[in-house]
Amino acid sequence: MAGNQPKVRVEHLTKKFGDLLVLDDLNFEVEEGEFLCIVGPTGCGKTTFLNSLTRLYEPTAGDILVNGIPVDPKKQNISYIFQEYSSFPWLTVEQNIRFGLEIKRIPAAEADANVEEMLEVVGLTRFRNYYPRQLSISMLQRVAIARAFATKPELLLMDEPYGQLDIDLRFKLEDELLKLWRRTGTTVLFITHNIEEAVYLSQKIMVLTNKPTSVKTVLDNPLPLPRDVVSADFVALRNKVTDLIKWW
Amino acid sequence: MNGTKRRVAYGMLGIFIFLCIWHAAATLTNLGRIMPDPVTVFVRFFMAFIEPIGTKTMLFHILTSLRRMLIPYTLGGLAGVFMGVLMGWYRICDAAFMPYIQMLRPIPPIAWIPLSIVWFGFAEGSKYFLIFLACFFTIALTTCDGVHSVDETLVRAARMLGARDRQLFTTIVLPTTVPYIFSGLQVALGSAWATIVAAEMIRSSEGVGWLIVSGQDVGNMTQIMVGIVAIALTGLLITSMMRGVEARLCAWTIRGK
Amino acid sequence: MRMDNKRKINESLIAFHGVSKTFDKPGEGRYEVVRDLYLNVQENEFLVLFGPGQCGKSTILNMIAGFEAPSGGELLCQGRPVEGPGPERGMVFQNTALFPWLTVMGNVEYGPKVRGVKKEERRKQAQHYIDLVGLQGFENSYPVKLSGGMQQRVGIARAYCSEPLVMLLDEPFGHLDAQTRYLMQDELTRIWQVEKRTVIFVTNNIEEAVYLADRILVLRNCPTGVKAEYQITLPRPRNYTDPEFLRLRREIDAVVDHTL
Repeated sequence: MAGNQPKVRVEHLTKKFGDLLVLDDLNFEVEEGEFLCIVGPTGCGKTTFLNSLTRLYEPTAGDILVNGIPVDPKKQNISYIFQEYSSFPWLTVEQNIRFGLEIKRIPAAEADANVEEMLEVVGLTRFRNYYPRQLSISMLQRVAIARAFATKPELLLMDEPYGQLDIDLRFKLEDELLKLWRRTGTTVLFITHNIEEAVYLSQKIMVLTNKPTSVKTVLDNPLPLPRDVVSADFVALRNKVTDLIKWW
Repeated sequence: MNGTKRRVAYGMLGIFIFLCIWHAAATLTNLGRIMPDPVTVFVRFFMAFIEPIGTKTMLFHILTSLRRMLIPYTLGGLAGVFMGVLMGWYRICDAAFMPYIQMLRPIPPIAWIPLSIVWFGFAEGSKYFLIFLACFFTIALTTCDGVHSVDETLVRAARMLGARDRQLFTTIVLPTTVPYIFSGLQVALGSAWATIVAAEMIRSSEGVGWLIVSGQDVGNMTQIMVGIVAIALTGLLITSMMRGVEARLCAWTIRGK
Repeated sequence: MRMDNKRKINESLIAFHGVSKTFDKPGEGRYEVVRDLYLNVQENEFLVLFGPGQCGKSTILNMIAGFEAPSGGELLCQGRPVEGPGPERGMVFQNTALFPWLTVMGNVEYGPKVRGVKKEERRKQAQHYIDLVGLQGFENSYPVKLSGGMQQRVGIARAYCSEPLVMLLDEPFGHLDAQTRYLMQDELTRIWQVEKRTVIFVTNNIEEAVYLADRILVLRNCPTGVKAEYQITLPRPRNYTDPEFLRLRREIDAVVDHTL
């Protein structure tokens, strides 16, 4: 633990495409082990925001620091989960989960232990030798989560991973995600359009404005886990966030 | 817009550098003995529009070759589209004709030269035949692919809106297929123009292919190069014209990008 | 019970009477998707078919559309057996199925056009529905230029423009983000209130089901049939976080056989 240094610090992050200002001076911090949900109106530049965080785009101005060092996915252990559950079709479930560990040259014994643990937590031990095409959508999404957590990343970026799922299924996968998060203490940035999902998962909710995107506000989410979507407190917070971004 | 200009600029620069190297090689080294320098070639090329090579000027050579190409190219295109649609739309036609097409397509057009002379004589007929072959198979296959690529949901949507079979064909199958036909026409244009040289080797006294063949007969290196330049520039011209037509007809695919 | 069904069939717009559907999968044998389905749809009703993932919801819709024929039982539209697709049933597809080579106007007027309606008349008709779905000004745009929500507006206008008796919507908002989805649910409610039609709406999203429906039929897993039925009497416009809304949402969702 490096004293009171935040895990992620974003300073004056700005991105222009030509003359078009997309990200306008974003500033925020994320503490170690925090679960931050990022919501904003549709078309608010969330994708540009994420692509700047992953250094797919070079920011026009500003810095993104992870552990005080400029972010670099090649050097730092950062994992991503996107909406397209991208598992390698030619690898089995187990091989998919092991993939990141091999890239990072984790010793075999440790890798074995990690893979077993992940298979266990997401309930895919029985399906370890299946290929992706033999799995359902929810199982594929679990493979993706297990693969992301297996490398014990310092930072996990998730971009709307459950956008297309049934609500009930979404809650089940979200419960699993919370379980993994609590177990590993990973710092998570979770981008979503879905306000209910943000309130269900987060410790903090960062609300973005419309383009040019800036940080409108950051709300604390003190509701105890597990959360009840019907409870009055939950609904109140959900309505509060909705009022901040409602355009429809 | 800026990007397009830059592309053109880089393209020009590339050509310019190539011409410089060619010129240096031809004038400064022994290569000059077997290869005329670009200035000589281009001067001869443009002079040929006034001063005949053989009995005809350059414009006549080019137009003759274009006529020889365009007539069988048009026929081959029409026949190819017709055959492609038949094979794409009716499974039985696909089963009946596809094996022949797959078998005949890999045979290079020049392999047919002896037979075409026997069947169509030394005159224009045999040249038309070769170029027809060069276009027909490619266009038939791409058209067939296009018909196969029709999106089943779009067909369903059209049926729900009351379209009958004939209307399905004109309003759904054709628009889907047009971009495929065009890419077939583009590829076929290349092979047709390439086959010109071979076709004009069968006895002729004019045309861009003849320039090369007769240049070889008399050992005139410059004339050979002039022929090559004529083929290259004319090819570039027709391909660009074709792109223009395609951009207009398939606006929806290009606007999508 | 049976007598009751018999009587209802004669009155209802769409009636399934003991319908079943099996597919023959090569190598896997027969696969039963729908079993003994009884279902009546009344005029101007907003009916939602709600069920888990691959439970055969779309197969039911495809049978009404006429893309699939029932393997057993009787399926009637206005008292006559359904035979093939036709313009008296309008369909809105999940992936929009817009014709990419036609403009918004071209797409919307396609139905009347292939049925031989004169240009002036069909343009007027199409313009009416383009205005209704809020796309005035985009008549000459191509679908690729439009956002997902706007594309689906075109899909709705196109289906409406054939003036169908019944609208079939197959998870039309499934590909949209949560916020655009809310917008489109509001819009669909508005459009439906302006121009009442019988609507059969398929979804796997319980929030959407409770928001839109007059009546929800919860479908069983394969082979599917009706598992439970709910009348939703909440006044429109509805509120997603209203306690009664949330209670219904939880109650109905609990009935579903969720599969993982």
